[in-house]
Amino acid sequence: MNTTLQKGLRTGTIFGLIILFLYMIGFTTIMSALLGDFLDLKGPSVGAGSVPGLVVLIGLIGLWAGAVASQSGDLSEDTWLKALVGGLAAGVISGLILALLAVVLNSLEDVARIRQYLVQISPQTINLFLLGRETGMAVAPLYLALMTASGLLGAALSRLLGRGRLRTAIASRRDAAEKALFSIPFLKKEEGRRILRLSIFAVLLALLFLMPQRLGQYWNFTLGTVGIYVLMGLGLNIVVGLAGLLDLGYVAFFAVGAYTIGLLTAPQPHGIMWDFWAVLPLGIVIASIAGILLGIPVLRLRGDYLAIVTLGFGEIIRVLARSDLLASFAGGPQGIRNIGGPSLFGNPLNSERAFMYFIIISIILVIFITTRLERSSVGRAWIAMREDETVAQAMGINTYRAKLLAFAIGAAFAGLGGVLFASRNQYTGPEDHSLLVSINVLALVIVGGMGSIPGVILGALALKGLPEMLRQLEDYRILAFGALLVVMMILRPEGLWPSTRRKIEIHTVEEELPPEPVHPRSTDQPVTTRLDTASDVTISTDVREA
Amino acid sequence: MKATLETRNLTKRFGGLTAVDHVNLVIPEHAIASVIGPNGAGKTTFFNCITGFYTPEEGEIIFDGQHSLAGLSPDKITRLGISRTYQNIRLFSNMTALENIMVGHHPKLKSMWFESIVRTPRMRREEEEALEDSIRLLRFVGLAGMGDTLARNLPYGAQRRLEIARALANKPKLLLLDEPTAGMNPNETSEMMHFIRNLRDKLGITILLIEHDMRVVMGISEQITVLDYGSKIAEGTPEEIQGNPRVIEAYLGRGAASGLSAQQRPAAAAI
Repeated sequence: MNTTLQKGLRTGTIFGLIILFLYMIGFTTIMSALLGDFLDLKGPSVGAGSVPGLVVLIGLIGLWAGAVASQSGDLSEDTWLKALVGGLAAGVISGLILALLAVVLNSLEDVARIRQYLVQISPQTINLFLLGRETGMAVAPLYLALMTASGLLGAALSRLLGRGRLRTAIASRRDAAEKALFSIPFLKKEEGRRILRLSIFAVLLALLFLMPQRLGQYWNFTLGTVGIYVLMGLGLNIVVGLAGLLDLGYVAFFAVGAYTIGLLTAPQPHGIMWDFWAVLPLGIVIASIAGILLGIPVLRLRGDYLAIVTLGFGEIIRVLARSDLLASFAGGPQGIRNIGGPSLFGNPLNSERAFMYFIIISIILVIFITTRLERSSVGRAWIAMREDETVAQAMGINTYRAKLLAFAIGAAFAGLGGVLFASRNQYTGPEDHSLLVSINVLALVIVGGMGSIPGVILGALALKGLPEMLRQLEDYRILAFGALLVVMMILRPEGLWPSTRRKIEIHTVEEELPPEPVHPRSTDQPVTTRLDTASDVTISTDVREA
Repeated sequence: MKATLETRNLTKRFGGLTAVDHVNLVIPEHAIASVIGPNGAGKTTFFNCITGFYTPEEGEIIFDGQHSLAGLSPDKITRLGISRTYQNIRLFSNMTALENIMVGHHPKLKSMWFESIVRTPRMRREEEEALEDSIRLLRFVGLAGMGDTLARNLPYGAQRRLEIARALANKPKLLLLDEPTAGMNPNETSEMMHFIRNLRDKLGITILLIEHDMRVVMGISEQITVLDYGSKIAEGTPEEIQGNPRVIEAYLGRGAASGLSAQQRPAAAAI
């Protein structure tokens, strides 16, 4: 009980401070307006924000706090009482923090002086936080009540949804749906399932291909940048997430791709001006050759040493690109202008929208290749190497070759990203390839969840897309972003969408089996019955993906 | 009798320390042989020399009467048909049990990496075979139904058995077990002994084990080699080893040999 209370208090404090922080950087104002619009809430608005939107936003955060607080570490001892105590504690504490903030804001005399340091604290945002009233004293107990109620509600909801683990609830729903679906006679056959799977893919594809049409130029450009980071993230995901090689100079391969298309299609400095389509595969190949060439000497190193050497390599490429020595060859600090774009039958295809399509197609292709590799002996070798390199080698895996392969494929994806990036911007220069790019890509892989493809996409959206959306926060953009990262790593240390292993053993007699055979020979009976089902092996292999 | 493994004057030095000192050893085909010795006697170093993790300074290792293992990398040695397990279990903990065994299949796969992308018939056939064979191995070690459990979530005994299943996946001729019963209770230990004997009888492989539990060593080995400070001090059947004064001296110290050998005999006879 004590620990539950402690956890509730701690969670409440964290969430209360998060709301405080969000308010100070002006996030609550923007989000309340967005929520107000989105939910079509009627109610007074103050300045840019909407009062009911703010209440909903804070209520939602309170629900979340309650849900988090209700989950104690020990699952077997989860009870209603504990969940509610946790939720209550979290709600009361976060409510108190908000009430205190309301009182302080209400008694602020000299707003102008504070604005020098915290530009978001203006009379308008203060009024918004005080829910449009002039008296703060009445609003303080209101916040306390709101947080307490939403904390309790959050705890109750999470308790109802199966031990508070929303994900297990979703998984069981999905399994039930799957079971119901596969009891349809047509879908019992493997072909039926394949058709179902293909049609789901087709719908997704159609949506993806309609999306750029609906988006304006700005969003096509922004999402295009996110897409290029997805490409690089998928590449680095193979190197870091699957093969476990910490590469801090990944931007080097991006630069090789970008400079390949720059040097071979731009009028300056060499005037070669080849066609985009000829240079595209060349850029990918040269980048992967660069990966192999770097890999040959450095892949004998392990862990931290590898990270340092690759870090150096990434910087060398950038320094070389901006050096005077190579200025006549690579354009020096000015970079390369007027890089060629793709065209089809003589029509130039260099709009943001066309590039968005190229990027989507590239991502689909890269995901396809990655998934195929991951689900084969190649992927197993990589993951085994990540888990324990020595043992992987003892299993007969040529670790040196497997590492080179991971490096080459990762570099090829980065090269593709570099070609698209430079061609879309019609420019590339040394500052496009700074260390920050490597760090960003690595961060998105880690934030998304190492080794997980959907994780990379989510991570790219969160790390490259969110800062764009937070642009209204102006000066506080990076601060907000950093805070979000810290909060996220506390709440979900394994990543937004952690990778899971595929289930490939036949699951037919499973339910009757005891979960843990204590004595090996006691399972002899099920073993013999399971032998009959061996013919099902291939059927369930790619349908089930956890 | 044909020898599966033969070492001649095998020597491994770490600076001034000679961890394995001119060890000659012959392991006949289909035997269960043990290497014993006090802590630090060089047993695991000896294993590491055979499996290619260490390069011995002197001597030869002949496998299967034809392959010299000197200077080969661990993966090449595994491909010749030698598998091993580890003293402290070293599974790929974030992979499922089944995937662990499938990694063990690696040496048998011939398809190239790009075949995995286009899924050529050869690659698909190999994958199917590997999966079926892994499921068979999973059942053989009594882990049916746990194939999709992450290795780190398996109970201790199951992890030990999974490690053996993984080592069996490449159809080895010689299996090296490094303390297979470490940390087990008497029940689990006798099950493991039964299991090891079964391995040899059913699969016809040669087994070399390092073990500290004398009950296990005396109970299942046909040949015992005793190492002390890196050199071989005795070799023979369990009976011969039990009576050997040099062995008792190595374990219990000088002077203990005369007093204790008589008491150890009845205990050994009980096994």
